[in-house]
Amino acid sequence: MRRALAATALAAALAPAVAHADTQQVLLPGPTPYPTPSPPLATTAPTVGATLTFRIRASSEQRVTAGVADDGSVVAVRALQKLRLTGTGDYLIVVQAPVLDVRAAAGSQSQPGQRRGQILWAGFASRRRLLSAQATLRPGPVLPFLPLRLRASRDGDRYMLTLANATTTSEVAFHGAASRAELASLLDRTRRESLAGRRLTPVYATIAGPVSQRPQKPRIAAPLRVTGELRFPRAPSAAAGGVVDGHSVRFSFVLGDEQPLARRVEVTGGGGAPRLHVEARPAAVVRGLRPPAGAASWRSTRLPPAALLRTLIDTRMQLVRSDQYQAFLANPDPVGRNRTSYVYETAAVRHRAPLAGSSGGGSGTLVILLAIVGAIVAAGAGLIAWAHS
Amino acid sequence: MRRLVILLAGVTVLAAGCGGSSGTSDSPKHLVIAVDVPVTGSPYVAQTIRQGVELATSNLNGGGGLRVGDRSYLLDVKLYDNHLSARQAVEDARRALDAGAVTIVTDGTGVDATWQLARRRGVSVCITYDGGSGLVDAERRPNVFRIAPTNHGIAFRYAEYLIPKQLKVGLLSDDSAYGREGAADVDHAFSADPKSVAITLTLPAGQPDLSAQVLRARRSGATALLVWGQPPTIAAVLSAARSIGWKVPVYTPPTGADPFVRQQLADHPTWVDGLTFASGRLTAEVGIGPFTSFQSQYEATYGADPVGVKTREGRAVVQPPEFGMYSYDFVHVLVAAITHAASVDPAKVTSALSQVTAQGANGDQRGFNEHNHDGVVDDDVYFARFRDMTYQPVQDDPLSATLPPIPQTR
Repeated sequence: MRRALAATALAAALAPAVAHADTQQVLLPGPTPYPTPSPPLATTAPTVGATLTFRIRASSEQRVTAGVADDGSVVAVRALQKLRLTGTGDYLIVVQAPVLDVRAAAGSQSQPGQRRGQILWAGFASRRRLLSAQATLRPGPVLPFLPLRLRASRDGDRYMLTLANATTTSEVAFHGAASRAELASLLDRTRRESLAGRRLTPVYATIAGPVSQRPQKPRIAAPLRVTGELRFPRAPSAAAGGVVDGHSVRFSFVLGDEQPLARRVEVTGGGGAPRLHVEARPAAVVRGLRPPAGAASWRSTRLPPAALLRTLIDTRMQLVRSDQYQAFLANPDPVGRNRTSYVYETAAVRHRAPLAGSSGGGSGTLVILLAIVGAIVAAGAGLIAWAHS
Repeated sequence: MRRLVILLAGVTVLAAGCGGSSGTSDSPKHLVIAVDVPVTGSPYVAQTIRQGVELATSNLNGGGGLRVGDRSYLLDVKLYDNHLSARQAVEDARRALDAGAVTIVTDGTGVDATWQLARRRGVSVCITYDGGSGLVDAERRPNVFRIAPTNHGIAFRYAEYLIPKQLKVGLLSDDSAYGREGAADVDHAFSADPKSVAITLTLPAGQPDLSAQVLRARRSGATALLVWGQPPTIAAVLSAARSIGWKVPVYTPPTGADPFVRQQLADHPTWVDGLTFASGRLTAEVGIGPFTSFQSQYEATYGADPVGVKTREGRAVVQPPEFGMYSYDFVHVLVAAITHAASVDPAKVTSALSQVTAQGANGDQRGFNEHNHDGVVDDDVYFARFRDMTYQPVQDDPLSATLPPIPQTR
């Protein structure tokens, strides 16, 4: 829906431009709309008339934990969301998510409610209030919106882990004739906002003449800063894509921002499957907004305006995508600050029940027989004791 | 003779079976809402709960009733008097279930015994008065719901309100079930700061003279009293304290606003001045409009609930229909659940109760959820203080200070 809206907005921007072929102000990407409807997670649950009055602001800090199997597939997802309200007034907050269970997390000043597909908060905030919920989510509907895909395999004593940025999407973009000075100024401004970790502010570019859609939709991905550790039963003998540190192999890189969208960590030795801990955070665009040739500002560059406009639009789209992944669960305050970290951990091993007919079954039968015999003996002893009392 | 008895019993059973949904496919069927309240034990509470339910159902029936699938339903209210007796409440529940009730609205009397009876038929029980902590448990008692401020919420709000005042609080409770339950929650809430408690005393419920206990509280160094008890206990504490000239501030749960307290102290109206009680807010952030609209309709239908006292200017004091509002709201949530479930099957309706929200009489959203079957959140507990036989929200509590006063004179 949002994609359709974005396309419609672009079409609306383009239509008069083609008709008049005049100078016009064209809105650049950011801070919204997001290129896809989710994240934040959404469900089909009927909406409650949620209210968060203008007197209350909310910031959201989240930690999404994905439990992964040995092959890297996600088997469980939990989300810890801390909503910090500031201001005084009533609140009724509905956070949509495919929630299996939700509990108040440590420090929460209220209890969350649960409905099918919804986490609810209601009450009165007096200046400050912390609403903290730990939710268990249904993995199926959530998986497409996790930003990182893991794939792990073993081949003899070699262990391979592939980490891929899963935030890539195609977006409609435009091109046209713009002034180099203005574009350079906008690039510098976008860079400052990116490095400061701020959400983009809306800006316009002055386009002279027609504005048209770029022939190919750019592929956009949110840069992800990934750090991780693989802890093996024994010290590995070698590692590529990471650094051996005792029994562990550590790695850290950015997926995206003019760097590969997938990386591979290969480990030799280690004596078995590792325990995995990977953390991914949506990151700023750094390389993509660095002025060429080590310059301090884009003003000194001699790149053609078309290239500057393309860089400006593409990097702003990446920042919008990064901002989108900062809110895995929705923040009721549309302009509130969001931060989300995504943690992938080896899921707890589930022990299977012994199969019927196995040796375990025999011991179970023996236990039952012993219990029956014991009960008979105890009853007999009780009877004798009663008779002698 | 025995055959005749069996025949009559059979006819009775058939009639009862038809009670929940009588009528032909063309004419509207009838859904029974049972109201089990202490008509003879606590008439004010019983009356306001019953009238809240009746007002909501008459509004809905006046609009043609409910449409579920291709059938229309009218809501019937059946009134039972539990006499404040758990034993009688069990008997009432059996009769209500036999009458095909889709829900039982109660003040809370006997719910510990009745919820299981109702659950066997999938029927919900909604408490609209008693805030006892153990009464509602979404996991153990999945068919029990409540729209009323909880003891737990009131106790913690009092701790939040009183502890920063650096008072030495005397925690007094009577030995009624209500008093004992409240005392447990108050003890828990104040355990965060034991130094703020001067003394903890249990008072005999129903005893008109509590001067010995109040004197003991005074000697303990108490600079405030939090009295959790039935209205007669609160009146007796006020009477004992004020008669010896002790102007200690007195705080109470919602029972402090019961007309009985003011009636008892009508000869000494100044003794009521300063009495502070906690209850669920009557108005939402949207303002006083929705509640006064509800109150007007309530009074137009049943007349105002007179307290039986007058202000110094001679104006008659009336009681805002707080608990009537809760039972009124529950009927609307119930109807939303029936619509959501697209069924009048009690089990399906009960299941849907935790999935719906309805507009409350005070303009707030009212509803339950899978974790919390309480429809009044702890945050919505406010404090009000009496002056001249009427009360106003206090100004030294953030929530209360935002609330407008409700007109209480006629």
